[in-house]
Amino acid sequence: MGFTPEVYKLFEDIVGPENVSDDPAVLDSYAFEVLADLVRPEQSHYMPRPVAVALPGTTEEVQALVRVCNVHRIKVKPLSTGWYHFAAPQSDEHDTLQLDMRRMDRILEIDETNMVAVIEPYVIAAQLQAEVMKLGLNINVTGAGASCSILASACAYAGQGPMAYWMGGNAENLLALEWVTPTGDVVRTGSLGSGAGWFAAEGPGPSVRGVCRGTFGSRGGMGVYTKCAIKLCHRPGTTEWNVHGTTPAYRLPVDDLFRVYTLAVPSWDAWADLYYKIYDNEIGYIFHRQFNLAGANLAPAFWLMYNDHTKTLGDVEWMAQDPAVKELTEEMRISFQFIMAGRSTGDIELQDRVLDALLQQVGGWKVERFCEDDMAEFTNMYLQRLGHKHINYVWAGGYVGTWMQIGTPDWVKNYIPIASAGLERDAADGLLVQCGGDAMMGSGSGFPGGGVTGLEQFVSYDANDLESTRAAVRHMEDAVKDAASHGLPPGKEGLYLELSKTDEQVHAELAAANQPAIFRFQRKIKDAIDPNDIGDRLYATLPPEG
Amino acid sequence: MGNAIGRAVDARDALAEIVRGEHVSDDPATLAGFTRDHSDELPIPPWFVVRPGDESQVRELVGWANATGTPLVPVSSGPPHFRGDTVPGRPGAVVVDLRRMKAIRRIDRRNKLAVIEPGVTYAQLQPALAAEGLRVVTPLRPRAGKSVIAALLEREPTLVPRYHYAFPEPLRNCGVVWGNGEATYTGEAGYGPPSLDAQWAAGMRQVDPKGPAQTDFVRLLSGAQGTLGIVTWASVKCTLLPETRKVVFVPAHRLEHLIGVCGRLQRLRLGEEVLLASGSLLASLMAPMREADRSELPPWTLVVGLAGRAMFPEECLAVQETDVREVVADLGREHGLEVADGLPGIDSDGMLEILTGVSAEPYWRLADKGDCREVFFNATLDKLPDLVAAALWLAEESGYPAADVGVYIQPQQQGVVHHCEFTLPFDPADADEAAAVRAFHTTAVERLAPAGAYFSRPYGPWANPVYARDGGSTAMLRTIKGVFDPNNVLNPGKLCFR
Repeated sequence: MGFTPEVYKLFEDIVGPENVSDDPAVLDSYAFEVLADLVRPEQSHYMPRPVAVALPGTTEEVQALVRVCNVHRIKVKPLSTGWYHFAAPQSDEHDTLQLDMRRMDRILEIDETNMVAVIEPYVIAAQLQAEVMKLGLNINVTGAGASCSILASACAYAGQGPMAYWMGGNAENLLALEWVTPTGDVVRTGSLGSGAGWFAAEGPGPSVRGVCRGTFGSRGGMGVYTKCAIKLCHRPGTTEWNVHGTTPAYRLPVDDLFRVYTLAVPSWDAWADLYYKIYDNEIGYIFHRQFNLAGANLAPAFWLMYNDHTKTLGDVEWMAQDPAVKELTEEMRISFQFIMAGRSTGDIELQDRVLDALLQQVGGWKVERFCEDDMAEFTNMYLQRLGHKHINYVWAGGYVGTWMQIGTPDWVKNYIPIASAGLERDAADGLLVQCGGDAMMGSGSGFPGGGVTGLEQFVSYDANDLESTRAAVRHMEDAVKDAASHGLPPGKEGLYLELSKTDEQVHAELAAANQPAIFRFQRKIKDAIDPNDIGDRLYATLPPEG
Repeated sequence: MGNAIGRAVDARDALAEIVRGEHVSDDPATLAGFTRDHSDELPIPPWFVVRPGDESQVRELVGWANATGTPLVPVSSGPPHFRGDTVPGRPGAVVVDLRRMKAIRRIDRRNKLAVIEPGVTYAQLQPALAAEGLRVVTPLRPRAGKSVIAALLEREPTLVPRYHYAFPEPLRNCGVVWGNGEATYTGEAGYGPPSLDAQWAAGMRQVDPKGPAQTDFVRLLSGAQGTLGIVTWASVKCTLLPETRKVVFVPAHRLEHLIGVCGRLQRLRLGEEVLLASGSLLASLMAPMREADRSELPPWTLVVGLAGRAMFPEECLAVQETDVREVVADLGREHGLEVADGLPGIDSDGMLEILTGVSAEPYWRLADKGDCREVFFNATLDKLPDLVAAALWLAEESGYPAADVGVYIQPQQQGVVHHCEFTLPFDPADADEAAAVRAFHTTAVERLAPAGAYFSRPYGPWANPVYARDGGSTAMLRTIKGVFDPNNVLNPGKLCFR
């Protein structure tokens, strides 16, 4: 059992020799993953190397590959565009076939009337958004950015982003789905299975996706999603984008039916109050605390530098000392970005009135400098497209998100000071970027209509410096302890650290969860759906019984 | 015989111990209430009816059912029942009547959330929410005894499509006792301690429906007809109570003429309640109506509610109305569509009462003739005119006058999914009429599914033809059933769990 030359030949027979490889150099390019250095022994940048990589072109090829892997007990790890180490093989002990889905890159259908698009795994957000925008429609581009797979965000990972407040996270936007299960069977969920098209996610009867698309999807641990339908939504205004400006700070003029603001408040209590009032009044289109990812002490200087083509990163330090910038830094210390879109002139004008009234109620204000044309147009481009993911790595080449526990604004506001103090403490030795303790950013709401939010601490480190990388790991561990000491669950760092643990450690943590029965059920589901254990442990379970 | 009596005595004693004496019944009149409903499901009397008072009793009941191999049929709503899902599918079943569990556990104005038990009805919940400035979006004119949780679990369509982000909105988190006796919370609540009081004390609310972990159990429970688990509480998302309201109407001779306008309203998320109704449906809803008014009702009407809430409510409503009129003027011009403030016998206030209240007795679907059958499916908006025409043709073919069929179309999921429903009232004493209705009801799947009708909630006789069309989902659902209810004690005989 396991991978052999004969098995490799079977893979070749399925996808053709040009679409399969076991060349170590090729395989290492799949093992090399962002964040691997935080969880792998000796801070290696490499996750476990797959035994082979195959590029299927159809559902039938995926099905055939999965069936071969069942026979030979080889794990299967699908990868669309990838984002983080979750996309790589997870086990050093088991043979894993990496499925690179990039050949399945077609937008199969855009149904404007019914606001549905049907896509394959390698369709990226930018690609789909560009097509639907021609029709005055839009999609939720997730926090992973415009270059990431829409299908992966909808089926297999988190799926929230700046637009989730109005458009829905992609968990909510997922409609019918084609799923090659770990045994190689094809399940078509919702209306698709009944031959009625792609529009409905649920049924017939119970919703099958309920066993694999939760807070997170199965993260490649429970079969392969080969096609899905995604719900589209309206985008008012012009369908022509007259983008201008100088790279990298491209700008998008603000359409008459849009408003683009950076809003600030005097306290975290006021921040929570304003979030609730925005939810209640149902205003806004894109709602995100974005620019603070550069850190509250440095963000204004950084973004002004970014928008000035005569300046470079090296100018930020002195710019931050400029009295006017220092004043601006204080002005927007607790701030977020807010884009409103009206279905009509009357609607957008009313939203503006409402927003002004809400700001008055909470003592908030519009950050004037960031609402001027240049910065508003830049904000508009940034958040409408979310094409600036390189910024994640801009300070030092490495970034890890911590915290981001999801809850109501009232709940989230309580952990911000803890998270801020923790980063300030952990960055004090200079091994992590010192940008102010608060580098927290995130969606105005991770669920459509508002109600739940979460702020991620943006921790920048040098991924090519061993000491800095180890400091990032220590910070992750500290964040877990800081949260626990305040009765809070772990944040994103807990998910990442899990990858560095043994099966026994992971099982012990799941057994100690508040409701371990959840993971008993996931074990039973896995046993029933994946009897040959070809998925990895990212579909989290307790150990097999007995 | 002696053994059977002995078993019954033992069972009664065991059940009485679990639910405390007076809440177990095998009184024939009580059993008769669960033996049949307004469907064609084979009447089967339950063995007992028990009324648990809390989650621990539900857990004990499920444990007992597993130990004794006794089927349980969970029921949360009061009569009348319509779809056969509360009629035992096996002899010897125990009906778990959850109506004693009717506490409104929490109303949270700031997070616009109510946490309720399964016996809470719309009639009970709405006034309590209104006192806090909230309301929950309802299905169309629910009956007074309709359980909020049961309606949402069964994915009953709700009236405000822009708030319907995804199914089973506005249902968010649940406490569940699964068929194997394990109890968990779903969604965000699944991460916290298994106690609502402890979660509230820690500042946790039950807002996000996804999860926990890789599961989305609330979706798994939806449409399950009580075959996987028994829900003991649920959080339900509410909206602010509007401060100003109005309803406008867009009448049309043909359904096709309204499709473009309806679609545009969904796309713009414009309007509060938005639905399409045939004249006969409106007449049933507004009954009693003067015959002169009834005969003057347009064949089709797009009903659009408008509402202002929070800041500047009057201005908010005015902008909505202007925008609705603009959409109708723009897309309806070709067909001569206009916005009307009323229809014969129906004004804004009258329709508002229908859209925001619960049904008077008798339930409006039964008021016409004493009985009725419903056929409903999901479809996309563009397919509806053909599907409606096919269904009405089938009604005529079955011997039922198409003009008497009430047609109700409810946009869901912000206009991506449309619930399409046909109500056929009939006189149960009229054998010919009853036979015509039954013929329509039983052949609906085979005739309409090939044309694009998606029967997402396959009750009674629809289950076999629906699951025959989808072998992949059927096999997966049976696998899932084996995980959550391995002894098949929960409502056996329903869906594909025969």
